[in-house]
Amino acid sequence: MTFAAILLVAAPAVPFLLALACAGRPVRRIAPLLLAPAAVPGLLAALLVPRDIFVLVAPAPFRISFFLDVPGAILLGGAALLWIAAGTYAATSLAKDPRRGGFCVWWLLTLSGSFGVFIVADVASFYLAFALVSLAAFGLSAHDDTAEARRAGMVYLALTLFGEALLIAAFVMLASGSPQANPLIRDAVAQLPLSPWREAILLLLMVGFGLKMGLVPLHVWMPLAHSVAPVPASAVLSGIVVKAGVIGLLRFLPLGVATPHWGLALSVAGIVTAYYGIALGLTQKHPKRVLAYSTVSQMGVVATVIGGALVQGDSAAAAIAAFYAANHILLKGALFLAVGIAAASAPGAVTPVLTLAGLLGLSLAGLPFTGGALAKLAIKGPMGEGAAGFLLALSAAGTTLLMAKFVLLLRDSAKGRAAFPLPSQGLLAPWIVLSVLALALPFTLYPLVTGERLAAAFALVNVEKTAVPVLLGLALAFALHQRGPALPDVPAGDVLVLAERLGPLLARGLAGVGRLDDVLRRFGVAGLLLAGLVIALAVAVGAAP
Amino acid sequence: MSLIASVHASPLGLLLVLAVIVPLCGLAPLLLLKSRVAERAALVFLAAGLAIVCVLCFEVARSGAPLAYFLGGFKPPLGVGLRADGFSAFMLGVTAVVIVSAGLFAMTAPGADAPRMPLAFWMLLLGVWSALNLVYVADDLFALYVALELLTFAAVPLVCLDGRAKTLSAALQYLLFALFGSVLYLLGAALLYGTYGTLDIILLAQRAHGEPALLAALALMTAGMLAKAALFPLYLWLPAAHAGAPAAASAILSAVVIKAPIFLVVRFWYDIATPAQTAAVAPILAALGAGAVVLCGVFALRQARLKLLIAYSTAAQIGYLFLMFPLAAASAGAGAWGAIAWTGGALHLVSHALSKAAMFMAAGVIAETVGHDRIAQLSGIGRIVPISVFAFGLGGLSLMGLPPSGGFVAKVMLLTSAVQQGAWWIAIVILVGGLLAAGYVLRVLLPALQRPVAEVVPVPVARWREMVALALALGAVALGFVPLQPAAFLAIGRPASWEGAAP
Repeated sequence: MTFAAILLVAAPAVPFLLALACAGRPVRRIAPLLLAPAAVPGLLAALLVPRDIFVLVAPAPFRISFFLDVPGAILLGGAALLWIAAGTYAATSLAKDPRRGGFCVWWLLTLSGSFGVFIVADVASFYLAFALVSLAAFGLSAHDDTAEARRAGMVYLALTLFGEALLIAAFVMLASGSPQANPLIRDAVAQLPLSPWREAILLLLMVGFGLKMGLVPLHVWMPLAHSVAPVPASAVLSGIVVKAGVIGLLRFLPLGVATPHWGLALSVAGIVTAYYGIALGLTQKHPKRVLAYSTVSQMGVVATVIGGALVQGDSAAAAIAAFYAANHILLKGALFLAVGIAAASAPGAVTPVLTLAGLLGLSLAGLPFTGGALAKLAIKGPMGEGAAGFLLALSAAGTTLLMAKFVLLLRDSAKGRAAFPLPSQGLLAPWIVLSVLALALPFTLYPLVTGERLAAAFALVNVEKTAVPVLLGLALAFALHQRGPALPDVPAGDVLVLAERLGPLLARGLAGVGRLDDVLRRFGVAGLLLAGLVIALAVAVGAAP
Repeated sequence: MSLIASVHASPLGLLLVLAVIVPLCGLAPLLLLKSRVAERAALVFLAAGLAIVCVLCFEVARSGAPLAYFLGGFKPPLGVGLRADGFSAFMLGVTAVVIVSAGLFAMTAPGADAPRMPLAFWMLLLGVWSALNLVYVADDLFALYVALELLTFAAVPLVCLDGRAKTLSAALQYLLFALFGSVLYLLGAALLYGTYGTLDIILLAQRAHGEPALLAALALMTAGMLAKAALFPLYLWLPAAHAGAPAAASAILSAVVIKAPIFLVVRFWYDIATPAQTAAVAPILAALGAGAVVLCGVFALRQARLKLLIAYSTAAQIGYLFLMFPLAAASAGAGAWGAIAWTGGALHLVSHALSKAAMFMAAGVIAETVGHDRIAQLSGIGRIVPISVFAFGLGGLSLMGLPPSGGFVAKVMLLTSAVQQGAWWIAIVILVGGLLAAGYVLRVLLPALQRPVAEVVPVPVARWREMVALALALGAVALGFVPLQPAAFLAIGRPASWEGAAP
């Protein structure tokens, strides 16, 4: 194996091995210090490994294999930066947590799985990595062990396992069109348009991955799970873990083959999600929940872009969707860390924190001359000037409004004592570095992804395009702040509350089925069934030719 | 007859006899020993038995042909033939692993003051093993009857080792239902002997051609085996029996004992019946299997006791093995043994054996540590016995069919087969079964990881017993790295014939 191959494999392998090493007490004791270094191989792999490299780790019939293309590398690099920053933050914030050992194990496993999904090449490894990142993330969101966290964890697990069941069904159908037991993803997807079960596979894939991305109405777990975790965990959950759904759609949808009806369905779901996330986010009272709903909204944007690519059969849009998603990784990660920073700041000293957080939020909305504006410009390419493109552009105004709401809530959350106006270096430094990277990095990636010169992004027409929605949003925010109607207080997870009303009904149904158990376990009943079974078997076999 | 005349026993065929006899040989000396010494003596026989099975499996794999032995040198129909093909060797291997692990789990650790297993446990353990091995190698319906009876009479007392009224009544129920099964089996065997004049399975297959007696016999014998296997809706005896036994015994009962009658159902329908007959019956077996997976899964969700939950899970999980029948039967004839469904079913069998044994052992450790197994009061148990909870979780991973685990690979194989044959209802049952398993496993696991509600003073449990459970659970996880393709080993010597037994 070449150095590049080893580096690529090390990206998920190193954190996984570190998680195993945590079984030993000495390693577990220093585990918080390992969180940031564990993600470094991933960053190096994203930077140094040549594109379109293919690494076969285990030959057929296993075919455990890795592959790094441009979308994968962009997401891997963005995720690695956030993992390192959040890991550094966690090393400080968790220093006194008595249960940090267990937290670090979940962290490392989630990290390993999240890198895995971006770079594996075969279907079985993808499912393994996807299950790892999804299930290990439960440990992060359930860490605080409050009643709220337990409920969030239950909802998350139930929906995740449901999604896994849909995906395994899709993958099995996908793989049975291929001569190998464990085909490469691209080979299997190349066969997909010919599959007799094409429609069923596409539906299962979209629902399975859409659930991970939080497309409405499968978003209900996200505001719950992302708001109960410790701050650095929320940052990676909302920033990175949801991207497993994005890479899933990018890898498994036949983007190169125009599939208009499914593309349209995904776009519509995406646009509905983009606006729904904003609307519900505005009703929230906790900054983390606002951010979680903003993630729902942003994933709607990504889904719309992917849906647009599917309509046109434009596989080049994958890199652009990945670019937009990577921009969201960094910004959302930095915004979540800001919640922790603001909470630990004194009310009098919080203004600089709010300023930076506001800038990050406006970048998410596409404020000109920030990285986010480039992400917004990039997706204009594949979206074109149609209705979808217009609605997406307009959603940036909503995002601005939502971020204004976030900053206001952040201001009210400052509870630090005046003696320590700002949190320690260990928390501040990773946040500031991450924020700067989030605002600046898209400038280096934009020409690479879109093939356009950076200067084009600064052309007046483009500045106007991104500035208008932001200004509109700011004006709206100001107006609403001055004399807005009182917004309803919607519980996190919105429609989930309705679904939970069905809980007692379900319990009663289960109890009814349970009574069958008591009947079947009567000796007389079982004896009769045994006799009936003899007759049924005899009749069936007698009827055989 | 000329076919039989040309057959010779394999040179290493004596291994088949040894696999049955060696555990039995342990019974007599154990009787004379005190329980402390008997443990160590039993260990010697367990080791010897394991070595024999290892050599046997290795030999089958090496030669690619079944091992055969004729008792007293007389060939069927006069004598009794023993035969181990790939499937038999596989079952022998799984059984050996579980039995030896249960033996190690039940051992009193040096220096620990855990309750010592009574002498009877060790004798019954060896008896069960011998009976199981005979089921897997005998080719004669009467020898199989003897094996089944020995199995029942060794397994039933395992249920009521503690002699409490509750376990006694569970054991009695088990005994009665197993006897029903035996009666049906005996009726069928008698019908076959009266009609065809032989009890040898392979000769029967050659002589039988769909006569009414054959059909009636197959129906009777299959129903008898389903009663012994506790397939839905005949599972009434299983929960109380498997939950009442001591942990080591529960592990054996749930992991391997109920697999023996299932093995025989496979032999009836793939070695005696014609493919058309098998295809006609397969939907009924699969429907019962689906009922088991779904309904027993729901019942498991409602249990208040950990061991009962695991027992219901066993009743649910054996359903998967019956879902295999229509899938394997569709690739009729010799092809069935090369079908992916066949390997999937076998893999499910071994994954379930390992994970279920691990879970029962872990549940036993938990119950010993905190003094009860009420699920509602097991919150925070993960802090008290982390290794056992981890073993339980890994076993549960396999039951849920999540990667990496043998249960996952088995599920994928069965799903693949179901999809390829358009058997959508089977695919849906498999997926729903996985979700139900997740429900009942997480019902235990999630509270276990939470903060303890009340302080308990844990009773210390020997670390190595937890390690045995963990090793089994890790074995179930390691099976997740089995390649996703039909296993050649399972097809060795299939379809069964004495022809293939010649050296």
